[in-house]
Amino acid sequence: MRQFKSMAYPYIVWIAAMIVVPMLMILMYAFTVKGNDVTTFRFAFENFGRFFSDAIFVEVLKRSLFIAVVTTIICIILGYPAAYIIAQVQGKKKMILVLLITLPMWINMLVRTYAWMGILQDDGILSTILSFFGIEVKMLHTSFAVILGMVYNFIPFMILQIHTSLTKMDKSLIEAASDLGADRLQCFLRVTLPLSLPGVISGITLVFLPAVSSFFIPKLLGGGQFVLIGNVIESQFLTSGNWNFGSAISLIMAVIIMISMYITKKVDKGEHMEGGRFN
Amino acid sequence: MKKLLALVLGATMLLGGCGGGTSSDVPDPVEKYGSDTLKLYNWGEYMGEDLINNFQKEFGVKVITEYFDSNEMMYTKIQAGDSYDVLVPSDYMIERLIANDSLMELDKSLIPNEANLYDGVKNLAFDPEGKYSVPYFWGSVGIVYNKNNVSIEDLEKEGYNILKDEKYKGKIYMYDSERDSFMVALKALGYSMNTDNEKEIEEAYNWLIELNNTMEPSYVTDEVIDNMANGMKDMAVVYSGDAAYILSQNEDMGFFLPNEGTNMWCDAMVIPKNAENPKLAHEFINYVLTYDASYDNSYTVGYASTNKDVLKDMSSEGGEYFGNEAYIPRTGYEKDEVFRDNQVLKEKLANLWIKVKASN
Repeated sequence: MRQFKSMAYPYIVWIAAMIVVPMLMILMYAFTVKGNDVTTFRFAFENFGRFFSDAIFVEVLKRSLFIAVVTTIICIILGYPAAYIIAQVQGKKKMILVLLITLPMWINMLVRTYAWMGILQDDGILSTILSFFGIEVKMLHTSFAVILGMVYNFIPFMILQIHTSLTKMDKSLIEAASDLGADRLQCFLRVTLPLSLPGVISGITLVFLPAVSSFFIPKLLGGGQFVLIGNVIESQFLTSGNWNFGSAISLIMAVIIMISMYITKKVDKGEHMEGGRFN
Repeated sequence: MKKLLALVLGATMLLGGCGGGTSSDVPDPVEKYGSDTLKLYNWGEYMGEDLINNFQKEFGVKVITEYFDSNEMMYTKIQAGDSYDVLVPSDYMIERLIANDSLMELDKSLIPNEANLYDGVKNLAFDPEGKYSVPYFWGSVGIVYNKNNVSIEDLEKEGYNILKDEKYKGKIYMYDSERDSFMVALKALGYSMNTDNEKEIEEAYNWLIELNNTMEPSYVTDEVIDNMANGMKDMAVVYSGDAAYILSQNEDMGFFLPNEGTNMWCDAMVIPKNAENPKLAHEFINYVLTYDASYDNSYTVGYASTNKDVLKDMSSEGGEYFGNEAYIPRTGYEKDEVFRDNQVLKEKLANLWIKVKASN
């Protein structure tokens, strides 16, 4: 093993340059404010005070978390059955199904989101079809469009994660359960579901994280009036030019994300112990 | 390997041959300017198609262009010490750069083509004596409207307040930036768009909130151009240059400048103090002001030229923008203003703007 150790060095350098240094810079910006001409920076907690003292930012944060949670739940509800079905089939069929899930990811996310703009807009394909049935609804620039865009973009991560944990599962456990008299529902609820939870958990992480911080999906599909926390961060950097406040919000987001990951890990562990009792 | 070597050798010889060809009739740029490379920092999609190539050929130099999306992004890079020879910032940002002592005073003897400038764009408030900047593009902000669905009487009677006329609910685009939205609100209320009076800002904020909550507006930036050209909505707050393009694509659309006044904006070329090649920078600025280069710029981008002859030819019979009411900006109207630099105010408006958008 020892002789391979040195092969990790490029990656360590990569991490240092691409992750650690930028994180430190965000930390530095977040805890400073622009000073006068002599001292460029001044240490301060002002940025954080400003965020929490202004109801609007907290409101936007809540909205972002809500949208991300809804997106994640829909991804689980739609993604689990899909993953389950894919896990059941074998051979070529399976390959084709997995390919169908991953195929859209070959195209750039931004391009696909632009395509949705065309589909959802007022005289787009969908509203033209709906108007044949006498239904007139505004779809683009609503929370429906934003959630749709997020689910569409992130659901492959959920499906693939659950699918992996389902295929890794030892099939003989289900056979044993049915031998012992469990019906199909019981088999699923007591054996398959608990064993696939790690996949669901990592799926949640992979969907929730990008959903909570995404800024171009709400911007394109929600219109400028749909402000999520990612958009606030973007505007601090690009239009206001206040990197300090932008970094502070990013840091707050990072902390929230770490806490939520910690909680999901905890839940995950709890579930495992419960499963242990059954065995 | 030998084949590859031959190929590389052949290519270099070919290139060398080309270079030799041009250098015979063009004076050696290194001798003339001290360097043969110009670093330009400009907005994206903001330059004529052939301008750079022609300049390179004519003067035997190389131009490296970088692009920015916002004045703030450009400013941050300049403050970080990055060196460019020519920048093209907007009015208020030039004012800030001058105040920071970041710009070089231009040597006007090297820019004889300044005589080509249109009178209306000279000596604007951000650089009152025109010592640091040479206007590049200019324009105003107005309302593009569908002539079939919006009555011109309503527009003339209500001005910017037509954006709050519930007859047009769900049919309007607002421009998604604090600058332009607050300009509209402040002008609608009869105030200066550069005000820092708390009460007036508060009123403008409430004006925007009311619009947001009653009119179902869509806040957009560049999408507005294609969407209005396709006639997606009936009204939009649009930059005059973009409006000129929309009008040229869709003849149902008209352009209206409200009597309450507007933002008269101007992007201009400047040379930062830390420029490595100021001589060539002057040559470039002078070149942009020539008829051909200005024509190329305005033809490609659609914004109003600062060259008076180009402006005239584009808008007169046979010109690209003949009969296009959005092409030539209004000048000399007392209620039209130029944005002034006020960082505290700008940040305050930026936060209020987030609040407006998040208010329902």
